[in-house]
Amino acid sequence: MEISADIHLTRSAGFTLDVNITVQPNGITALYGPSGSGKSTLLRLLAGLERGRPGDRIRITNGNRVWQDETTFVPPEKRGIGFVFQQQQLFPHLSVQGNLHFAMNRQHTQNNLDAQQVYDWLHLTPLLDKEINQLSGGEAQRVAIARVLLNGAKCILLDEPLGSIDSASKSRILPYLDRLHRNLQIPMVYVSHSYEEITYLADYLFVLDAGKIKSKGSLLELSSTLELNSAEGESAAAVIQCTVSKHDLTYRLSELDFEGAKIFVNAQNYQVDDSVRVRIPARDVSIATSQPGNSSILNILEVEIVSFEEGPGPSILVRLRRNKQFILARITRKSLNILNLQPGQKVYAQIKSVALLMEHTGE
Amino acid sequence: MLDPDLISLIITLKLAAVTTFILFLVGTPLAWWLARTRHIAGYLIEPLVALPIVLPPTVLGFYLLILFSPNSKFGMLWTSITGNTLAFTFEGLVIGSVIYSLPFYVQPLQVAFENVKQELLDAAATLGAGPYDRFFNVVMPLCRRGFVVAGTLAFAHTVGEFGIVLMIGGNIPGETRVLSIALFDHVETLRYGRAHLMAAGLLVFSFVLLLVVYTLNRVRPGQSNRSAIGG
Repeated sequence: MEISADIHLTRSAGFTLDVNITVQPNGITALYGPSGSGKSTLLRLLAGLERGRPGDRIRITNGNRVWQDETTFVPPEKRGIGFVFQQQQLFPHLSVQGNLHFAMNRQHTQNNLDAQQVYDWLHLTPLLDKEINQLSGGEAQRVAIARVLLNGAKCILLDEPLGSIDSASKSRILPYLDRLHRNLQIPMVYVSHSYEEITYLADYLFVLDAGKIKSKGSLLELSSTLELNSAEGESAAAVIQCTVSKHDLTYRLSELDFEGAKIFVNAQNYQVDDSVRVRIPARDVSIATSQPGNSSILNILEVEIVSFEEGPGPSILVRLRRNKQFILARITRKSLNILNLQPGQKVYAQIKSVALLMEHTGE
Repeated sequence: MLDPDLISLIITLKLAAVTTFILFLVGTPLAWWLARTRHIAGYLIEPLVALPIVLPPTVLGFYLLILFSPNSKFGMLWTSITGNTLAFTFEGLVIGSVIYSLPFYVQPLQVAFENVKQELLDAAATLGAGPYDRFFNVVMPLCRRGFVVAGTLAFAHTVGEFGIVLMIGGNIPGETRVLSIALFDHVETLRYGRAHLMAAGLLVFSFVLLLVVYTLNRVRPGQSNRSAIGG
C-alpha cells in the first residue's frame, strides 16, 4: 500500500483542512494535534468515510489507483483498509466471536494470520463467548483490533483508539499495539492528541494544527524539537535510538550504546545488537557543568547545549545534542542563570529515569 | 358451504397478510430512505406518508375510487393488463389497505432505522460489507424489534379498516366483505348475537396485538444500539 492524499476542503464552521500526506509503507505514521485540528477528518477521508462537497479539492491515491477525486469514489468496503474507532463500534447484535466471524467472512485479502495466534496476542480466548455489552472498554478495544486484523486489512487506521479508555486499561493496551507493530508488516496510521501515546508508538509524525501540517518527519527527529515539546509541559520527552551492547546479569541491567555513550536500562528481553527506542522525559534530566562524581544516577551523558525555549514560565526546556541525536532537559530559569549556560557549551546531562520503548522497525 | 362469517374472517386475514407483506417490500426501503436522507424531498414525502393517519378514510376511498375507474389512466392501464377493474375487487382492497396502513408500518420502522448509529455502518463498510450486506446483516438484525412492531401494527390496522373498504370494496360476500363490514351488516339487520361475537373477537385480537407491541417496546435487553463502554 502506498497511500497519498492531497486534500483541500472547507466545512461550514469555518474549518478548513489543507494537507498533503503520504502514508509511510511500513511502521506507524502518527497524526498528532489538538482536537479540531482535522486529524480525524483526514483519517476518515483516507478510509472513504467522508465524501467531498462542492468546492472541495480531494485526491487520494493508492499507488497508481485513484481512490477519490472529482470523478472517482472507491467506497470504504473496496479500499482494503481497517479502521479502529475510538468507540470500538462492535456490533451489539453479535457476540465477540460473531463480531470476529463477521470480519473473517469478509476478508479484504487472504492473510496468513492464524485466528488462534491473534487471540493469543490480544488475550481474547476468555472473551470469545461474551456479549458485547459485557466487555470493559479495554476488552472491547482489543476485540476491535482483532476484528481489523482478522479482516485482512492492508493498512490499519486508528482513530484515538485509547481515547475512550481509562488510564489503567490504556497502559495495558499500549503493549498490545506495540506487539502488533513488531509482529506485523502492516502500515498503520495512528491519530491521537496524546503526546505520550505518540512517543510510545509512532515512527513517523505529522503534526497538525488548525487543518494544516505544522511539521513532519521521523519521531526521532521531531520528538526532541522545542516547538513540539514546549506545549507539552510535564509530558515533554525526547525519544532516542540505542543499540543493546551487553547484559549485566548481576544487576539485571543492560548496557545500551547511545552515540558512543553508555546508558543502563532494564532490557533483558532484547538480544545484543538489537535496536531499541528509549524515551527520556525532560523533567527527569538535569544539567551539570562539570562531571558529577559519586552520584546514584547511573546515566550521565556528555552533551552540547543547542538551544533554549524562549518563554515566560519559571522552567525552560533545553535542547541537548550528542552527535546526531538530541535529548531535552527541563530546568528552572534560575539554574540557567546561575550556571550561566550558553548554546554550544559542553555540559553533563544526568538522567534520572529512562523508559525502554520497543524495537524500532521503521526506517 | 362455509359460514359466511368464517369466509369474512378468512378474507380479512388474507387481506391483512398480503398488505403486510407488500408493506414489508415497499415500506422498508421507504422507511430506510426517510431515516437516512438529507434530501429536500424527504420533507415532502414524510407528511405524505403520514396523511392516512389524519385523513378520513372516506376521502382516501373516494380518490382511490376515481383512480380505479376505467376512465382514469391508471384504471385503463390496470384493465388492459389484467382484464379486470380494480373497484370492488380484492386487489383493489389490497391497494387501498397498503396506502391506508403505510404510516403504521413506516413510522415505527423509520424510528428504529434512525437509531442505528452511522458509525456501526461505517465499521461494517471498512470491514468489507457493501450496502446490501450492511442492510441485511447489520441494520435488519439490529432493528428486529422495529420490524415486529411495524408488521404487527400494519396487520392490526388493516384488520380494523372500515371506511375505505366500504368506499372501494363494497360489500361483496366472498370477495370484499371483511369482518368490520360483516359486523356492520349484523348490526343493521339486528343480529346482535353474531355482532357481539364478532366485536368481542376483534376487541380481544386487537388488545393482544397491542400487548405484544408495547411489551416489546418496554423490554429492552442487551439488544440496544449503544456501544459497549465501561463495565
